[in-house]
This record gives sequence, structure tokens and C-alpha cells, in this order.
Amino acid sequence: MTQFVQATLYGLLQGGLLALVAVGFSLVWGVMNVVNLAHGAFVLGGAYVALELHDALGLDPFVSMVPAAAVLFALGYLIQRYLVNLVVNAPIFITLILTFGLEMVLENLLRVWFTPDYQSIPTGYAQDSLRLPGDIRIPYGKLIAALLAVAVTVALVYFMRRTRTGLSILATGMDRGAARLMGVKARHVYALTFGIAAAMAGAAGAAEGAVRTFSPADARSFTLFSFVVAVLGGLGNMWGALYGGLVLGVVMSWGSQLLSGTMVNAVAFALLVVLLAVRPQGIAGKAFYASRVEV
Amino acid sequence: MRAQILGGAALATVLVLASGCGSKKAPEPAAAAGGSGVLTLGASLSLTGTTAKEGGLTKEGYEVCKKVVNDKGGFTAGGTKYTLDIQYQDDTSKQDISAQLVDQYNDKGVKLILGPYGSGPTEAAAAVVERNKQVMVDSAGADDKIFAKGYQRSFAVLSPATSYVSSMVQALSDLANPKPKTLAFISADDGFSKTATQGGTDKAKELGFQVLATEYVPNGTTDVSAALTKIKRLKPDVIVGSVHLAEGVAIVKQAKELGVVPAGGFAETVAPPIPDFAKSLGAAADGVLGSSQWTARTAGTDKYFGGAADYARTFAAQYGGRQPVYQNAQATAACLAAVLAVEKAGSTDPDKVRDALAALDTPSFFGPIRFNSKGMNVTKPMAVVQIQSGKPVPVWPTDSASGSLKWPATSA
Repeated sequence: MTQFVQATLYGLLQGGLLALVAVGFSLVWGVMNVVNLAHGAFVLGGAYVALELHDALGLDPFVSMVPAAAVLFALGYLIQRYLVNLVVNAPIFITLILTFGLEMVLENLLRVWFTPDYQSIPTGYAQDSLRLPGDIRIPYGKLIAALLAVAVTVALVYFMRRTRTGLSILATGMDRGAARLMGVKARHVYALTFGIAAAMAGAAGAAEGAVRTFSPADARSFTLFSFVVAVLGGLGNMWGALYGGLVLGVVMSWGSQLLSGTMVNAVAFALLVVLLAVRPQGIAGKAFYASRVEV
Repeated sequence: MRAQILGGAALATVLVLASGCGSKKAPEPAAAAGGSGVLTLGASLSLTGTTAKEGGLTKEGYEVCKKVVNDKGGFTAGGTKYTLDIQYQDDTSKQDISAQLVDQYNDKGVKLILGPYGSGPTEAAAAVVERNKQVMVDSAGADDKIFAKGYQRSFAVLSPATSYVSSMVQALSDLANPKPKTLAFISADDGFSKTATQGGTDKAKELGFQVLATEYVPNGTTDVSAALTKIKRLKPDVIVGSVHLAEGVAIVKQAKELGVVPAGGFAETVAPPIPDFAKSLGAAADGVLGSSQWTARTAGTDKYFGGAADYARTFAAQYGGRQPVYQNAQATAACLAAVLAVEKAGSTDPDKVRDALAALDTPSFFGPIRFNSKGMNVTKPMAVVQIQSGKPVPVWPTDSASGSLKWPATSA
């Protein structure tokens, strides 16, 4: 029983971290219909910004989430405005190719700048843990990351629903033609959305750096799990990534209690297949987003 | 006039294409006896992808060999003076690409191959080498299964996978006081790690240890929490990881998170001797045992590199004062074996070089290099290191140790 509770709690914490990584990916896909395959490279970009700040100034990686987010926001805004916007009206296949190429360029730049070495950002407390009855442990690093995932999601929901900018992003995502007629500058809104998504990826990267090792080669696995989380959670709902992350984290944690090795990944993708068959719009997604027409 | 220009352009295009195609030629100039030539070795390496770090270490080892051999004026084979050249191609850490690249080397006339990084790419390359009648000196493919297929043209300078874990189990049996009674294994699920685990569990049972569990985790994962959760209630004296760097760091990190404290300590393959391990874990790395193909105290000398300590100095001089790790040394040793075999064969003919490799029996800075009938170097012992104050210290075998084992290595 203790083992089951431990696995569940650990899975929830891992899920929170997955959600934090995936929330930006889900936002861009939901609003712009762009599957950003360079998302994992943005996450790593944040991790390396936090690493540099730690090495240079001794900054804690959770504090570095803010500057990492700022750097990645600027990068994301510029990439969208001057690169992705060129093909944003093209079929999704073209944006897939573009972001795939972008991912390769960014991953190799990281390799050149930071070497392929495995890195991690020491904190002194991230591996310590809260001790519950039955010797169940809750590691502080992952706890902070999971709580931040919830906080970021709440902030995103507030931003989207309560601010003029957020509403214009949502409106553009729902019907670009109508939003333009209302005076929304779609090009700016798209760049802003991409920037916000990259900022959240950067913040997630800084948190990841505190709890695990990373190297440039991890970019693809971040993108892959973001994809699974986004599809599981569903598009068009800001809570989607959080639900998707938590469900995936717990299911994988339970799965790895029963199965061994790479079979655990099979559980994640089997879950995806089942969900797509039963509820194609995801846990919290809106079917509208799958069938919208863009003009 | 226009037709003439078009015709001329078409002819020029055909000529350019013709000169670029069909270039199946030996890259080394024909070297007459008494003359000089260049021996070109081909290496498919993981310069990008999941094992880019280790591929880079392998390339460094090959480059040290090239520089040392050429700085000595090259070597003589059959009356011809050769300098060494190594061509590299990036296999992106994928075994099918590794096989394709070795095939391409054959098309270009490069018959002597230095191995890629890792057992998967090496296994794929070995099949192609055999088919093309090339010859490969393997520097980093340790899985015993590579050598169970009857290949006659691949030779590994490194100790086989089965010795990675068994050497640590033997060291625990010889040195640990109080002697641990129970072991739990966490193994990555790739071929190399599983073979190493099998060797380790067999040795553990032979030496009277009780093996409580063997848990498998995905290769390259940073989450081994499930395996640790399952092992926690068994309270093993030692947790043995048959892993690579990412999983190796995760075992120590997450064991701390989950409060899994073995009474004796941790022992892991591959990860501990790599500086990134101690750097990532900080003080938590101290006490972890690791197996190593080579240390700066390995016994043996050769005419190119001297002893192991000399090699470490040569490497440091070439790479800004950085000390070599075993992945560097094993790559240099593979290149050394190729050079010695060509010298002995007196020819660069692949069949003669193959026969010379099969008969090679020489000491070196890397330890003895001698191959059995399968092409494995079973005479070279593994070393066991322990991280002490952030540095890997050789502790076993005791005749080439520079420190003593600190045991138990964990404190509750």
C-alpha cells in the first residue's frame, strides 16, 4: 500500500513537471494550429540560461525561471514574427517541416555552445524530501516544480480570460477573420502567443535543470512528451496541459510498477490511442478546435 | 551560337558529374616499398544524438593516437613509411546509419575501420565489415553478443560487457568490510546493460551474495523512481546499476529523494568515471563505486604511448590539461592496435591486417591487447574506482590501486 501511495504521489509530481513543460506547446497548437516541434529546444534553452546564471551569479534555478522566461519570450516572439509567420497560413505539414528544421538548428547550436556534456543545476535542497507517515517521501524540488505548474496554469487562465491581450489571443485562435475585423493585429497576436509559449518552456527548462540531468540530445523527448500531454489534455482549454500531465505522470508511474523498461513508454502511448478513440478532443479539449476553419 | 553555348554547358555538366561519380578508389596513394604513404582509417561516430558526449570522447581518443603516431614520424610497414589519417562521419547515435557509413567507407576504398561508440552501432557495423571483408578494431562495443555471431573481422580492445558488473561484485567481495550480503540490480534495458547485468548476477551468486531483485528501466531515462520504490522495501546492502550516465545520475539523485539508503552503498557501470557524474551529483556522488576499462594506474607500456600515466600526460597536453577518461583511452588503444597490426602485417591489405590482429599479443598503456578466437580481449582486467572527494580513485585490483575502499560508503 505504501508503495502504491508513493508511486501515485511521485507520479503526480512528475506529472506536474510534464504539465509545466507542455503548457506552452499546447497553447501554440490550440491558438495557432502550429505543432511546434522546436518546443523541446526552447525547454532546453531555459535550462541552459538557468545553468549559466547559476554558474555566473549563483542564482537558484527556481529563481532563474523568471529571467529564463524573459530570454525565451524574446526568442520566441522574434522566431514567430520573422520566421513562422511566413508560413502560418500554409498547410500544417509546412509548419511541421519548418519547426522540425528549427529544432535541429537550435539543438545543434546548444551542442556547439554548451558541449554535449550532461548538466544539472545543484540546489542543495531539491533532492531533500518531506517525510510523511509510512516513510513516504515528497522531494522538495519536484514539489516546487509541480506547484509552479499549477500556479503557471492558473496565471495563464487568468491572463487569457481576464485581460484584453488574452482575449484577443483567444479570439484570434477561434476565428482569425472575425478577430481581424474587430481590429486585432493577428501577426502581433501570433508572435505574442509564441513568445508566451516559449517563455513558459524556458521557465519549465529552469525547473527541469534543478531536478534532473539534461543535454542537448533531450530536446526531442521534451517535444514528444509535450505532444502526448497536449493531445491527452486537449486543445483549446488552458487547463488541458495540467490535466494531461497529471494523468500521464500517474499512469506512467503505476505502469512502471507493473511493467519494466521501455514497456512503460508503451503504456503512455497506449493511453493516447485509447483516449483518441474514445474522446478525440482530449480530456478537457473542445471539439471545435479540431474542426475550425481558418480564413 | 546559343545552341553551342547550351551544348558546351551540357558537356561541362556531364564532365563534372562524371568526375564526381564512380569514385570507388583507395584514398591512400599507392605506396611502393621504400616510399611513403598515408594509412586512412574510417570511423563512424556518434557526434550528434543521444551518445554525442561519448562519441566525442571516442573521437578525442582517436585524435590523440593520430597525433602521437604522426609526431613520431609515422610507422613503417613492409618497408613503406606511413602517416596516419582518420576520416570521421556522424552516425547521429543510430546503428543503421553507422552500418551505412561503414558501407560508404568500403565504397571509397577504406578497408580499415575504427569502431563507433556503443554496442548497438558496433553490432550493426560489424555485420557490414564482415560482408565487405573490411577489418574493424572495436573501441566501445562491449556487448558479448557482438562476438557470438562467428565474425572473423572485428576485434575489441576493451573488456567485454559481462566484466563491467562482475568486476565490481568481485571488488565488493574482496575489499568491502563489513562484507555486504544482499544486492539489488537496476539495469537499463539495452543489450549491453542487460549482458553486463547477467554477468554481474552470475558472479554475485558464485561469490555467495543474495540477489534480491533485478529491475529494468528504459535506456537513457532520467526517472528510475519505480525501480527504487520497488527495491526500497527489500533493504539491499548494495544497489548495483548497470547503466549509462543519465540513469546512473538518476539512481543516486532519486534514491536520495525517495529515502532509499542501502547499508553499504551504490555501484554503477559507465557513469562514475565520467566527470559529469560527480559534477551533477556533488557530494552525493562520493562513495559510489564504478567499473572502468582503464585508469591512469593500469599496468603495461608500449612504444608509442609509454605507460598509462604517460598517456594521461600526453592526453592532457593535447586537451588543455584535462585528464582522460576510459572512453578516451579505449579509443586510443583501438587505433594503436590497428597501427601495430599494420606494422606487423607489413601491409595495409585487409586480409593480412586481420591475420596480424588475430595474432596480436602485446602489452600497452591500456593493458594487454590479445584477442581470443571470437575477437574479444579477455586478458585485460577491468578496474574498479570509487568516487572520493569528487574524484574517481582506483581501488581494485589492489596492485594497480591508488587508494583504499571506503566502506560502508553511505550513511543512514
